[in-house]
Amino acid sequence: MRVVIADDEADVVAFLKSIVEELGHIAVSFADGNKLSQALMRETFDLVILDWNIPGKDGIDLLKWMQASLPEHPPVIMMTNRSAKKDISDALNAGADDYITKPEDRSVVAARINAMLRRNAGAGAFDAEAVYGKYHLNRLDQTVTLHGETITMTAKEFELADLFFRNADRTLSRNYIMETIWRTNAVLATRTLDMHISRVRAKLDLQPENGFRIFTVFGYGYRLETITTSN
Amino acid sequence: MNLRRRLAAEWLAIGLFATCLLVASLFWRGTAAFDHLLYDQLSAAQRPPADNDILIVAIDDTSLTALGKWPWDREIHARLLSKLQQKKPRAIAFDILLSEPGAPDSDQRLAAALSAGPAPVYIPLHFNTPGSNGRDYDTILPVPAFTQAAAGVGHVNIQFDDDGIVRRTTLCFTPDKGGKTWPHLITGLFQGKDPSFPKAGCAEPLLIPYTARGSFSEISYADILNSEVPDELVRGKNIIIGATAAGMGDNFPTPNGEGGMLAGVEVMANVLAASRRNDFIRPLPDPWTYALTLAPMWLLMFGFLRFRPRVVLMISLLSLAGILLLSIALLFGRLWFPPGTALLGILLVYPLWGWRRLQAMSVFMDSELRGLEQSGEVRPLPIPTNQTTDLVGRQSEALASAIDHMRDLRRFVSDTLADLPDPMFVTDPEDRVTLTNKLLNESLDKDISGWRLTDALDLMVIPDQRPMVDLYIAQSHAKGQEYVRFASPAEKTFVMRRSEVRSDSGILHGHIHYLTDITALAKAERDREEVLQLLSHDMRAPQSSIIALLDGPVDADARKRIERNARRTIQLAQDFVDIARMGETEFAGEDVLLADLVREASDSLWPLARERGISFAIRDTSDSAFVLAEPESLHRAICNLVDNAIKFSPADAAIGIDIGRHDETHIIVTISDSGDGIDADLLPNLFTRFASTGNHSGRVKGVGLGLAFVHAVITRHNGTVWASNGDNGGARFSFTLPIA
Repeated sequence: MRVVIADDEADVVAFLKSIVEELGHIAVSFADGNKLSQALMRETFDLVILDWNIPGKDGIDLLKWMQASLPEHPPVIMMTNRSAKKDISDALNAGADDYITKPEDRSVVAARINAMLRRNAGAGAFDAEAVYGKYHLNRLDQTVTLHGETITMTAKEFELADLFFRNADRTLSRNYIMETIWRTNAVLATRTLDMHISRVRAKLDLQPENGFRIFTVFGYGYRLETITTSN
Repeated sequence: MNLRRRLAAEWLAIGLFATCLLVASLFWRGTAAFDHLLYDQLSAAQRPPADNDILIVAIDDTSLTALGKWPWDREIHARLLSKLQQKKPRAIAFDILLSEPGAPDSDQRLAAALSAGPAPVYIPLHFNTPGSNGRDYDTILPVPAFTQAAAGVGHVNIQFDDDGIVRRTTLCFTPDKGGKTWPHLITGLFQGKDPSFPKAGCAEPLLIPYTARGSFSEISYADILNSEVPDELVRGKNIIIGATAAGMGDNFPTPNGEGGMLAGVEVMANVLAASRRNDFIRPLPDPWTYALTLAPMWLLMFGFLRFRPRVVLMISLLSLAGILLLSIALLFGRLWFPPGTALLGILLVYPLWGWRRLQAMSVFMDSELRGLEQSGEVRPLPIPTNQTTDLVGRQSEALASAIDHMRDLRRFVSDTLADLPDPMFVTDPEDRVTLTNKLLNESLDKDISGWRLTDALDLMVIPDQRPMVDLYIAQSHAKGQEYVRFASPAEKTFVMRRSEVRSDSGILHGHIHYLTDITALAKAERDREEVLQLLSHDMRAPQSSIIALLDGPVDADARKRIERNARRTIQLAQDFVDIARMGETEFAGEDVLLADLVREASDSLWPLARERGISFAIRDTSDSAFVLAEPESLHRAICNLVDNAIKFSPADAAIGIDIGRHDETHIIVTISDSGDGIDADLLPNLFTRFASTGNHSGRVKGVGLGLAFVHAVITRHNGTVWASNGDNGGARFSFTLPIA
């Protein structure tokens, strides 16, 4: 697949390019926002990794332009030095599908790129059983098995866990989660979602030791991250 | 000119002027008319009773008609005397001049009658003035035959007062200095031949207490001659023979004359009566008169200085009455004090002082008002427009409006002071606080009015810096130091400026102390210092390490260390920005499940822990407690604590993370490691910013802004954070947060 790397820092471009190519995809880099927008109008790409401070056009402006001008635009991962909650939520709310705060580990970046490409490729089949690392999900009796022990959960908890596993390494907004699990647009008490996530985290013992962690994107949503232990 | 000095000068001038005037008045009898009038009125009110032992034999009109034209032959007088002698009177004063010799046999017969007895007969001598040969008087004695025949010779001088009225007499008279002293004709009649004559002081003038007019028994000369008078009328009486007929020229105006004249003999009868009663009225001696005249005046003058005008008026009126009463009282004591001049003194100085004082006040008010106008006040003085009153009235109005104006001004000033944007206070020359403003009171939480400066400073300045502040206060003007900067016990920083307040005339009124709260400025300064410290040391150090590492072979270990140093720099920058941002923004909390936040923090540090085989032992008894938090910063704060714990834990150790209930309202998180613990002397300052940048070794080195950030975040969340060493010797960091 074709991945656009839009950044003006050569080191970063090289770093990302090596990851993308390692994943078996094609990397196309742009160091200028205007050139990127021209290319996006002519060509088809599967993913755009967009730097916030790209010369020519501001990252957020580019995002908004894509939302407005390209009906079938590819998913966008924002790359930024900024880690403030507001900046991240601004980016996600402006239409970015995910974000990466620089500097980030190679494995994390790879996982996030993969998740984004997988989603775009329409991944996420509904088999009766699925295996995610150490976790075995049985969608029929809605149980999860870890280390050979079966963990019993409520329907909502299982659905939530299933949603996270299916969308591992993808940032899910709170609204998305609530619409998907509770099938409602109504603003649920924030504590309800927090409590459910807390319970899922505790019951499934979702922690790096077990290969996963739940990461809160403050002001936006959650992400189940796969932990890849290098060396 | 100074009002007080001007008034003093006016006072003295009035006093001296009045004194001179009164002395002159006494000397030249300026108030004689009044005094005489008063004397006459007073004496009329206390006339002595008639003396029935005195009998006047009057050469009246009846006698002139009967005996023919005056002068009569002296043989007639001889006949009269012998007729009288037959009736046995006590003594006889023959008040008819006998200085020229008459018909020889008549003179002889008279001389015989004079000496015949039994009653002694006294005859008058008289004086011509001016005398011959430059003498004041020529003494004209009776004819020697008569002088020898008579029992005695005496003068019959009549003394006229300024107004021509006869009020006084002298009982003896010395025509020439050192010459013979003559008794009054009456003296002999009264006391016979007195061997002790002349008595000392007999020459002093005596005021005659007149009896009512016509109160003496009087018999016509002719009636005696015609033997128409019973002997009893004459027996034992003091006889005065003299002229009463209008044409005889021997009549004088007297106080009891009631506008008419009193015959010389009647005056003489009064003198005799007074002598017999011994109730002559003596004029007060001059020294006393002067003293009694000037004393009330000066008393009043001192009263002016001492008392309020209303009291002074009372004193004046009382003085007037007092003087009159004194005069009357003295008169009862047979002493005459003419009160006119003394009364004049009171009547003079009272209005004089009133006038001069008003004048001085007027001039003073005028100059003061002018001065006030010219002193460039904040607002011009209102000029009174009312022209209906007099000058002083207008000045008073001007003054009243000036006072109003000053009151407004004072109000204006005190309001201004009260609302000054900086605290201030004023001290008097004795360094006592006289004025404070609202801000000072608020910032000290106390009103220090009336305090001594040194006590006030005790309250404001931390003890360490007192000497410096004292030095500034003592020397500020000498050294030209403009201000002093100090810290207060309330952990604020102030700049104090002290400036003198002097009056127009240069008198030191005190000092104004302006305080400026530069706490924020001082903090900014400190922050800047810290930034410089950060940039110059903390940021550089890891970079230097990287450069040093690149110098050698870049193997796997070196790469790892380079990465760590680079991350440390980023972390430092991040912490710095976060702390700075935290100071600028309002707290905007949201519901956060604290236990999950702690888990995520430990999750995020798992790779780091794993590298060293370190594990987390998380015990959650918080029962899903929520806190109101800024999740991002709180997350990072917890990360810092966990990161710290990892850093100082030995390899393969376990880090305890406990989330539980601290009390009903607080949740507590404790992160404990099994490292070497924290030096006891570092514990108190562990959370201050850049505590690690000192020359500390071991534990704290390399922590950077981490703990300061933790402290800032927890404090921002209304929580408390502290550090201690656990039972196993490792460090324990705990913080509490209120449960939402």
